[in-house]
Amino acid sequence: MLMKKMVAAVAVAVSAMSALAACGDASSPAVPGAAKPSDDVLAQAPVAAAADILPGSTMEKIKQRGELIVGGSLDAPLLSQQNPATGQVEGFDADLGKALAKYIIGEPKVKIVNSASETREALLSNGTVDVVFQTYTITKERADQVAFAGPYYTSGLTIAVKKGTTGITKPEDLNGKKVLAGANTPAIPAIKKLAPQAEILTFGSDPECLQALKQDRGVAYVQDETLLIADAKKDPSIEIVTKPFTVDPYGIGLKHGDDQMKAFTNAWLKKIQDTGVWQKVWKNSIGTVVTGDAPQPPQIGSVPGS
Amino acid sequence: MSTTLFDEPGPRARRHIRVATVAGTLAAIALAVLAVRQFAANGQLDAARWQPYATWPMWRYLLTGLWSTALAAVVSAALAMAFGLVLALGRLSHQAWLRRPAAAYVEVVRTIPALLLVYVVLFALPRYGLDLPLFWKLVVPLSVSNAAAFAEIFRAGINSVERGQTEAGLAVGLTRGQAMRLVVLPQAARRVLPSIVSQSVGLLKDTSLGFVVSYAELLYSGKVLAAYNGLLIQTYVVVALIYLVVNASLSKLARVLESRPALYARRSARA
Amino acid sequence: MSLLPDATSLLLDGMSLLPDGVSLPSDGLLAYLPDLGQGLLVTLQLTAASFLGAAVLGVLVTALRVAPVRVLRALGTAYVETFQNLPLLVLLVLAIFGLPEIGIQGDIKLTVIVVIAVYEAAYIGEALRSGVNAVSKGQGEAARAIGLTFTQSMRHVILPQALRTVIQPLGNIFIATTMNTALAAAVSVVDLTGAANRVNLVEAQPIPIFVGAGAAYALIAAAAGFVTGRLERRLVILR
Repeated sequence: MLMKKMVAAVAVAVSAMSALAACGDASSPAVPGAAKPSDDVLAQAPVAAAADILPGSTMEKIKQRGELIVGGSLDAPLLSQQNPATGQVEGFDADLGKALAKYIIGEPKVKIVNSASETREALLSNGTVDVVFQTYTITKERADQVAFAGPYYTSGLTIAVKKGTTGITKPEDLNGKKVLAGANTPAIPAIKKLAPQAEILTFGSDPECLQALKQDRGVAYVQDETLLIADAKKDPSIEIVTKPFTVDPYGIGLKHGDDQMKAFTNAWLKKIQDTGVWQKVWKNSIGTVVTGDAPQPPQIGSVPGS
Repeated sequence: MSTTLFDEPGPRARRHIRVATVAGTLAAIALAVLAVRQFAANGQLDAARWQPYATWPMWRYLLTGLWSTALAAVVSAALAMAFGLVLALGRLSHQAWLRRPAAAYVEVVRTIPALLLVYVVLFALPRYGLDLPLFWKLVVPLSVSNAAAFAEIFRAGINSVERGQTEAGLAVGLTRGQAMRLVVLPQAARRVLPSIVSQSVGLLKDTSLGFVVSYAELLYSGKVLAAYNGLLIQTYVVVALIYLVVNASLSKLARVLESRPALYARRSARA
Repeated sequence: MSLLPDATSLLLDGMSLLPDGVSLPSDGLLAYLPDLGQGLLVTLQLTAASFLGAAVLGVLVTALRVAPVRVLRALGTAYVETFQNLPLLVLLVLAIFGLPEIGIQGDIKLTVIVVIAVYEAAYIGEALRSGVNAVSKGQGEAARAIGLTFTQSMRHVILPQALRTVIQPLGNIFIATTMNTALAAAVSVVDLTGAANRVNLVEAQPIPIFVGAGAAYALIAAAAGFVTGRLERRLVILR
């Protein structure tokens, strides 16, 4: 009884707050290192010819639904990061998802389902999501459970240290040292392989790892190169000391055995690469921290499993 | 009872207390100033680092997270209480086939960390084809683990109602079920109210495990924010303050509401 | 769960957590028993140390809450209100990353122990206070009547009786402490949960791994329940 009253009171209070929230303005404070809005790029993104949307295909289903459901992240800066001011998800992966949605539907309408690296295969196979854009490394073993279009990007792990740290120039130098890594990231097995004597400390997010590095909880931080470049841009007290020492080709995860959708997605990828949309998306996201022109996109189908 | 343990302080004691209070306060202030100065020296007090939390969009984002927290907490609490009541009745049943499984459930689940249950729902079930929607990935493990706690609270409450109450109910011709529902449960509910409230506050805090399943509750919203603006410490300070204000008001509200029936229960118990 | 590339990819590429040339036996999971055992040890260590700390702090908090000085009582109430109303995970992250910014940086495991102790002390303080309140009024009056001071009557009369009535609640707090140490895994301590998670990352067999870890936690709790049950039967004062 009383619980009911309390719950009601809380519900009223909270809904009042969210009502307030709904009528706020969406002016976005400038944040360094954040990806740019993608509207201008998406305006140039192609739309598939009606004939390409085969009857009875996954593409037709998505088009009829009017929304592409993407498995992705909300907290991966430059790749797939939610902008709290607008609620939009921004970055390289997120924009490619929107471009694919536009190609199928005609409008960049996506719904991002937050997924974990452990659940992506299940999300795809039971149809919760249409595609996965989430730094999803193509492997032969995974290709037994899901189909991969792409690869659409290649990245790798590298090492960051506090400026002025000496004696770390290659992964093997991490032996016997305390090394920071994101929980459940490929950095953990990579460090164990290349520097088996390193003591690995894992934290749940990139800002935590970065703070730990600055507070000398560990001497080095192993993470995806793109992210570390962004971190080093934002925070001049850290520096990157190696070239990427792994090669991770990212693919677009699709339902296993859906060859139509795979061929369709690969055709789209080829098209956006040829028309320069891929390069512009890169320039708008990763290109805001990496200087120079967009790299050569990886050859579609070049990786075992793709 | 505490008042009988010491005499009302006399003039000298009062003076001592005043001196000690002033000295203690000064020492605390000095420590706080030192801490704040160090904090500022590390650049953590720079206006630029706090400015985002003076803007509405950031707050709107966090309050949306708070709303999700409330939703998850209310749904989990409702499920856990319903299931907990069933378990408590099962455990008090005269039928062994009801009593044993209920007791086993409570004793086992009570001792498994909620985080581990979250891991099972997150990592294990999808491999067997059961991939729950995000919301339920948080709510199911929380309900499962809190049901055991609520069951124990209800059982204690039911046991605290004098046997005579049930017997009187049976004597006036009620069935066992009716006596439980009409006589025992209303009294038990009143007595365990404080425990139910504190368990519910605990449950609200447990929704911060949404951090692990990436359900966009308050703490996870803080994580996304920190990834966006890189202001780890500031973000967590703000998130902590929100939890503190919400939970403290809940406890306060509970105490206010609780004072009346509790008084009533005590009076009727004495009579 | 979080950002960025995923770990399994590299493993699936044929890497192993072991140095090159060492291959796992086919019954893979058994090879990780030493790792899991190490994690269990850390969990036990965290639990024992933080519960001990929480017990000492909790007695202090209780003393504050029934103290003769109003400021001290307010302090005690503020302590309980603060730490009962914050999620432990938030406290852990704030302590580990925030404290160094005000010049206090300790070993992570030590920080975790202190934070859990401080957190659980609020609960122990509440349990003890209800125990103190359950000691009948006449006991306090009698203690004062024979001339004991506040501290003496607390130490020799009230607390010994209060402790007995709260053995069961304290046992429950001990179990909660055991389970709460699992959060240490979120801040880089490789306890039982952390070790299980890392093994799962490699072997991807969540059911046996997490059920095994769950069983270990349940065993600790069962042991605690057994001890408190015995203690209670031995010490209980029937009124």
